[in-house]
Amino acid sequence: MKKLISLSLIASSFLFADTDLEQLKAQVDNQQLMIEKLLQKIEKLENKTITKKSNTALNIENIISRQEKIQQDNISRKVSQVGNSSSFSQNAFIPNISLVVDTSYVNRNKRDDEIAHLEVPGVVHGLLGAHTDGDITHSTYNANNGFNFNYAELALSSSVDPYFTMDSIFHLSPQGFEIEEAFVTSTALGYGVRAKAGKFLSNFGYLNEKHHHAWDFNDMPLVYEGFLGLHGINEVGMQAQWTAPTNTYLMFGTEVFQGTNEQMFGKDTIGDAEDPIAKASDGPSLFVAYVKSSVDIGDTTIFGGISYANGSSRLDHSGDEEPYAFSGDSELYGADLLVKHYFDSYSYLSWQSELLMRNMDGEQYNLDPNDTTLVLSSPNFRKKQAGLYTQLIYSINQSWKVGARYDTIYKNDVLEDGINLNEPSSLDKYSAMLEYQTSEFARFRLQYNHNGALFNEDGLRQNVNTIMLQANIAIGAHGAHSF
Amino acid sequence: MKLLLLLLPFSLFAQLNIAVSYPYIGAIAKSIGGDAVNTTVLANGKWDPHFIVPRPSLISKVRNADGLIINGAQLEIGWLPSLIRRAGNPKTNINAKSFLNLSNYMNLINKPQSVDRSGGDLHPNGNPHFHLDPNNILILANVIKEYLSYIDSENSELYESNYKTFTKIWKLKIDIWNKRMLNKKGLKVIQFHNNLAYFIKAYRLKNIGTIEPLPGIPPSSRHTLNLIKLIKEEKPFGIFHDVYHSTKTAEYISLKTEIPVILMPHDIGALDSVEDLSSLFDYLTSVIK
Repeated sequence: MKKLISLSLIASSFLFADTDLEQLKAQVDNQQLMIEKLLQKIEKLENKTITKKSNTALNIENIISRQEKIQQDNISRKVSQVGNSSSFSQNAFIPNISLVVDTSYVNRNKRDDEIAHLEVPGVVHGLLGAHTDGDITHSTYNANNGFNFNYAELALSSSVDPYFTMDSIFHLSPQGFEIEEAFVTSTALGYGVRAKAGKFLSNFGYLNEKHHHAWDFNDMPLVYEGFLGLHGINEVGMQAQWTAPTNTYLMFGTEVFQGTNEQMFGKDTIGDAEDPIAKASDGPSLFVAYVKSSVDIGDTTIFGGISYANGSSRLDHSGDEEPYAFSGDSELYGADLLVKHYFDSYSYLSWQSELLMRNMDGEQYNLDPNDTTLVLSSPNFRKKQAGLYTQLIYSINQSWKVGARYDTIYKNDVLEDGINLNEPSSLDKYSAMLEYQTSEFARFRLQYNHNGALFNEDGLRQNVNTIMLQANIAIGAHGAHSF
Repeated sequence: MKLLLLLLPFSLFAQLNIAVSYPYIGAIAKSIGGDAVNTTVLANGKWDPHFIVPRPSLISKVRNADGLIINGAQLEIGWLPSLIRRAGNPKTNINAKSFLNLSNYMNLINKPQSVDRSGGDLHPNGNPHFHLDPNNILILANVIKEYLSYIDSENSELYESNYKTFTKIWKLKIDIWNKRMLNKKGLKVIQFHNNLAYFIKAYRLKNIGTIEPLPGIPPSSRHTLNLIKLIKEEKPFGIFHDVYHSTKTAEYISLKTEIPVILMPHDIGALDSVEDLSSLFDYLTSVIK
């Protein structure tokens, strides 16, 4: 009996054990299913969050971690690749590059060698045309009858580091290679302060800072070219500008320059260094200050400013037909006003005017044409001169513009030892233009000038009429427009 | 001393002053920022977004900003860089954390295979007019929320809750617009410039041609004649025209082909009736009758 019981017990225990095992198995299976389901769920959730992230690419931190992943991918990909030719490639750091080419076809009623000898009396000798001064040939834009290659302008610009940007503009022309501008600008000073250093165009007035290809006419107004020369105030020095924290645009600027302008502000010794005609003035010798402001009335913008420049004048004209040198001090006052009304995105009417007044006071050394080291006389010279230009431009649409300009030097008092030389004072020029552009990058302009400001050596007024067709073509980086 | 007292209140209740390039960005930033953010819009919505006039007053607006949000994808390349440079404000420099380029967070379409100006004034990164898909507004709102919380973490809860409210309402509106546009699927259209690419994609319309022969190049007579031929063959629904180009060529085509010219606002303020972001899409989705 005992045996039976024990046997049955064993059997039952086996039986029981079997059911236990089955139960356990089932439980395990269940658990496995559950785990699988959970895993699936987790996977789904993960997928969801990943797609969500990649769809909406949001959280800035997520983006950073994504970028890190991409970098990791790149690393593994790179390692598997054989070529390493781009290891030290710096193509990504190539600055913005643009090239502007300016050419023209000119037809004048005066011959080229005649034009080069005409002067604006008391202001400038040889305003138009090309003339040679030793090894260097000076030339205005559109100097000759027929075809003119004015320049190829190469511009490079880029950030230097988090604190500066650098810009350079090179003018390449048949006369040579010229560094038009090369400067660094601060980006991180804050408080609306911006500083510039290098060689650059002064922000004096409105037109001075603009490059030739941003002008509305092919040539400079009389008063600018007469007082300051073709490049205006373009000097080596420093600039500081401050934009006031006001709602209305209000900007104050000041500049200090070495002073090397041929027409008005020079500083170098004239004549022999041992026994000079006029001693050099120490640099920096040119100081500029200005205030600019602007208001909007609907779609009309009014932008104006007043400017002042003061510097020493050491002007060497020993190469002229009537050689002379000037040594003294000069002041230049400027006032500018631009009113621009927009009819739509491409059509506007703009009225732009600028007034320049200057005082020059010093000694004029009249030199012997046969030996320019000999001073024949050195009277005191005072010049009080003023001029202005005013122009109206109508942009019809994206392709067409028309414009007219009047410019004049209306005051021309030149006093030699206090005696007024009675230089002619109504020096006028009239211009009209028609412009067509196929795109933002290619512009063709037809311009007519009537210039009544030029006189020949006999003091007779020579009216100069000019027709020019100018082509201005740009490739490369898109320059951002300024107002 | 009196002057100092007068100046004090401004600094005590200082709002975050965010400058934005286009009105639509201003509207989103205002919705998310609420009372904590003051937005200054630089561009006027009725003008061509590619050619905004860089008025000097805009320099002051950038100068006085605590941050700058731009559309990006080179839409502002012709006017904004000179303003940023002149403003002298480190907070609006492109490397600043308070500078936000929205295009970095979008998948751009129409990216050109090769970029050369003989193909017109192309956008090398792709079509930059992405805000005209209402679904993208949700993404942009999220990016702007993250951006505001990042530069002004004190108010992040406010931005989060404003964002939630905005999203909720905007999704309801998307449903309405989707319903309205449902039976417009497959409609063919002509445009002046492909600035509605994202809108067209969102509602499965089909752009079959543009009046300008190439991006940024004014219409030519030869291209116009070809387009008239195409319209007669393909029979599109109409011409979607932006508000800032002359409709002269479009009207000539309309006269020859008898398909309508439909003015399509691209941003807030483009038309007088488009006063906010939802009225922009209300307008766009209701023009096709």
